[in-house]
Amino acid sequence: MAARVLGALAVIALLVAPPLLPKYPLEILISVLFFAYLGLAWNILGGYAGQFSFGHAAFFGIGAYTSTLLLLRGGVTPWLGMLAGGVLAAGFGLFEGYLSFRYGLRGPYFSLVTLAFAEMLRVVSVNAKAVGASIGLVIPTGIAAPAMFVFAGKLSYYYVILAMTAAALVITRALARSRLGYALIAVRENEDAAEAAGVNALGVKLAAMALSSFLTAFGGTFYAQYFAYIDPTITFGPAISIQGLLPAIVGGAGTVLGPLLGSFVLTPISELTRAALRGRAGADIMLYGLILILVISFLPQGLMGLRRAARRASGR
Amino acid sequence: MGDDKQRGTNGFLTRRGFLGTLGAATTVAGFPAMARGQGPAPVKVGYILPVTGPLAFEAQLALNGILLAVDEINAAGGIKSLGGAKLTLLPGDTQNKVELGKSEAQRLIDQGVVALMGPFSSLVAFSVRQDTEKARTPFLLLAAVADNLTEGGLRYTFRMQPNGKAMATLTVDNMLEMANAANVPIKRVAMMHEDGNFGTTMGNHVEAFAKTKGYELVQRVPYNLRSPDFTAELAKVKAARPDLLLISGYYGDSKLIAETAAKLRVGVHALVGLANAAYSNPRFIAENRELTEHIFDGNYWHNPQSARAKTVFEAYQKRFSSPMSNHGVQGYQVTFVLKDALERAASIDRDKVRDAIAKINLTDHILTQDAIRFDDTGENPNAMPALLQVQNGRPTVVGPARFAEAKPVFPVPKWKG
Amino acid sequence: MSGLLLQAVVSGLLLGGVYGLVASGLTLIFGVLRIINFAHGAVMMLGMYASYWLWVGLGVDPYVSVLVTAPLFFLLGMGIQRLVIEPNRDAAEHNQLLLTLGLALFLENLALVLWHGDFRTLRVPYANASFVIGDALVEVSRLVAAGGAVLIALALFVFLRRTDVGKAIRALSEEREGAMLVGIDVARIRAVAFGIGSACVAVAGALITPFFYVAPDVGESFNIMAFVVVVLGGMGNFIGALVGGLIVGLAESLGAALLPGSLKQLVVFVIFVLVLLFRPEGLFGGARGR
Repeated sequence: MAARVLGALAVIALLVAPPLLPKYPLEILISVLFFAYLGLAWNILGGYAGQFSFGHAAFFGIGAYTSTLLLLRGGVTPWLGMLAGGVLAAGFGLFEGYLSFRYGLRGPYFSLVTLAFAEMLRVVSVNAKAVGASIGLVIPTGIAAPAMFVFAGKLSYYYVILAMTAAALVITRALARSRLGYALIAVRENEDAAEAAGVNALGVKLAAMALSSFLTAFGGTFYAQYFAYIDPTITFGPAISIQGLLPAIVGGAGTVLGPLLGSFVLTPISELTRAALRGRAGADIMLYGLILILVISFLPQGLMGLRRAARRASGR
Repeated sequence: MGDDKQRGTNGFLTRRGFLGTLGAATTVAGFPAMARGQGPAPVKVGYILPVTGPLAFEAQLALNGILLAVDEINAAGGIKSLGGAKLTLLPGDTQNKVELGKSEAQRLIDQGVVALMGPFSSLVAFSVRQDTEKARTPFLLLAAVADNLTEGGLRYTFRMQPNGKAMATLTVDNMLEMANAANVPIKRVAMMHEDGNFGTTMGNHVEAFAKTKGYELVQRVPYNLRSPDFTAELAKVKAARPDLLLISGYYGDSKLIAETAAKLRVGVHALVGLANAAYSNPRFIAENRELTEHIFDGNYWHNPQSARAKTVFEAYQKRFSSPMSNHGVQGYQVTFVLKDALERAASIDRDKVRDAIAKINLTDHILTQDAIRFDDTGENPNAMPALLQVQNGRPTVVGPARFAEAKPVFPVPKWKG
Repeated sequence: MSGLLLQAVVSGLLLGGVYGLVASGLTLIFGVLRIINFAHGAVMMLGMYASYWLWVGLGVDPYVSVLVTAPLFFLLGMGIQRLVIEPNRDAAEHNQLLLTLGLALFLENLALVLWHGDFRTLRVPYANASFVIGDALVEVSRLVAAGGAVLIALALFVFLRRTDVGKAIRALSEEREGAMLVGIDVARIRAVAFGIGSACVAVAGALITPFFYVAPDVGESFNIMAFVVVVLGGMGNFIGALVGGLIVGLAESLGAALLPGSLKQLVVFVIFVLVLLFRPEGLFGGARGR
């Protein structure tokens, strides 16, 4: 009951408070939601299907580059470009997924292969003049044009990412309660047993891959429109892959709220570290590493796992 | 100058939170309120630099220059047209990350800085300049080399130092001029550059200007700066029999390349850095005396013929116990550009300051160029890199002729096959 | 053209030796613990710093420093294994991967915090020593590192065959249940294996300091290559690691000589993906690692 009230308050705060915030905290909130969104997208493949991708940057980058290239070369609005990017990313995800799953790659091997694919895309982009190579692509955001995904103020971008995050939450919840969701969990827990029970493991894993990559690509477009500049390292580099999965792990992979919770928790911790260890770059990431180790060691189900444990303890 | 570092701590993005805002607000807000009774309110000037993280060393050098300038300005009575108002420097640490740069810039803008200096990395600059434009806050670029930073009709972004195009083309001009004077024709040029934004920008220009400048780019080799070995790349260069090898890279890779080039006897008349992070870096030179002797670098520098520059150099050496680097020169000079604008604007209104910057015509400076001015895109049309050569362990200005402090040693025998 | 190819081959083999050297420790760790150690490069980086500080502080030559760093990192490795990895030995595989990732982030940034991001170089007097084979340059320091790779592979090979601990390690990697049944102290062996792997990579680090720089992110260049080599050579297979290293080094170097742009990196990743898909047990067979 308390959780529901808290949840409702949080939702109201997220909807109503931002116009009152100065630009700088708003900036932070946008970042938090952005990573929550990426975490939610990753969670579909990593949490529910149990396939830990270390290369989601591939889809992020495909999304960012597709919408941006369509915009710059063809004047297509990024709202549509986003969809195109999602489709292309899903296609690449299916390709990558099919190869990996068909050839029986699981666990760490799967993670490594996804990392390799993302890196390959990065190297190709660095060397491809057609997509701007390392010079990158600049997204013109000087003149506000909502139809072209360019807004005058940060507030609008905030509501966009809020909407995207909400949509991701809704999708995740729907998935968790669907047949596909149950099939995914079955495959995650014991693929062979699931197959024996009639689940088409390959099919469901591919479905998860397609959905996860589709959604991740949208994040790439948002990034491009908000930060106004993309290049191969920002979009295809390992950093964005890792940042996308950390909130899900810390919050609880395979849960609906996990990635959101994880993102909201990691930020203040990062800030406290930086404030406490001022002038020591890397201290906050050192802490991230430590948190990751601690979470894996003591909270393998993430923070949401605490909730479950509390529930069990209270006999519910 | 090597600015767009993509190496480092996994390029991790972090976010400052609400606590940070509060903390910063309390340190700064107090000032005018705590009024010392008499004296005008200080003028808030902000900087965003990667003072911690992989570029910390270079950023600190730039910051030292800024600090030196601010203290000099304040000691001389502040901004006279504002009644002697002193400058207050507000810090911003980007850790060389785009998101942090954006939020730090926003924080400083919220705190009311009259102008922003920075951010070193072109990647950070791309994002920040949109925000400074929207907030109508003058943004004085420091070290960011990417050409298209001033594109798009921005009115609040200014670049004092040479951009990528100027760096590349003017350095090549200077080299060709020097080669002609030594009667050693340069017909075949090879270039190695890191494959990021910085290196690729330089490479693109060197390639684009080949025909007009009369040389053939016989080999262009982009490389990944993390690579542990460049022997094959350099063998490729050697096989193309170039007269000159240009290198745009960062510290570690430039070191490896120079070392390997020396051992391979790559057969060029000279090794020339193009805004190279290592070849005119005093620390690199001190650690690699024999290797760096007679290496060239086209880079920002101070004017050795200027008496003022000499004084500033001495002041820097005295205060920071090390020679002033080109980063320090830039930081110092860009602060004085702002000071000059503030004097003429006689106001801390950002739009007025912006207009004053746009109209600048500053001849009292320490750079190797004519007057500092800005065209309508915000670029400095007179920006000029110096051509440096390490002589006796010291980066020495050998071009353009009117700023030179010594004759160049060219060709350099040790690179020949 | 042939001069270029000869150089590419020679440098490729030398570089490959270094990759094999770095990969030996990784493959041992995988063979016994069945984890892909993301922190391998970070440990190597720490080993390099150790050699650096010994040089700067006490004038100890990096080649000599291994006498100190190898035992030191053996103990450090055992400590890390017991403290961080062993408690999670039954965790899901992907969680163990994340564990080593967290460790990597922690160690790399610890180095950044402690020693800042500046590049440091170890200027030993013989750093410039080199000779030529035909048209091809051979740097002595790189040759020594490659030679070190061979020596270490041989040493590990002998150690695994002749010593009790070595046999216990082999037993554990090949047949875990059986090993426990004959009374092998599994936990201890696992710690020892990680310790040896860490010592190996610290030695690797020491051997490359004469020609490479030292910085907190130095391990990253070698980390991914080590994974490729280990997968190519077969997880748990030392000779495989050595040969795999040579292959990867050659591929990279030839890629640099023959391909435009910086596409040499692509060659390595393509090899990686192909091996993972079509021959995950590696060219020479090793544990499949499930």
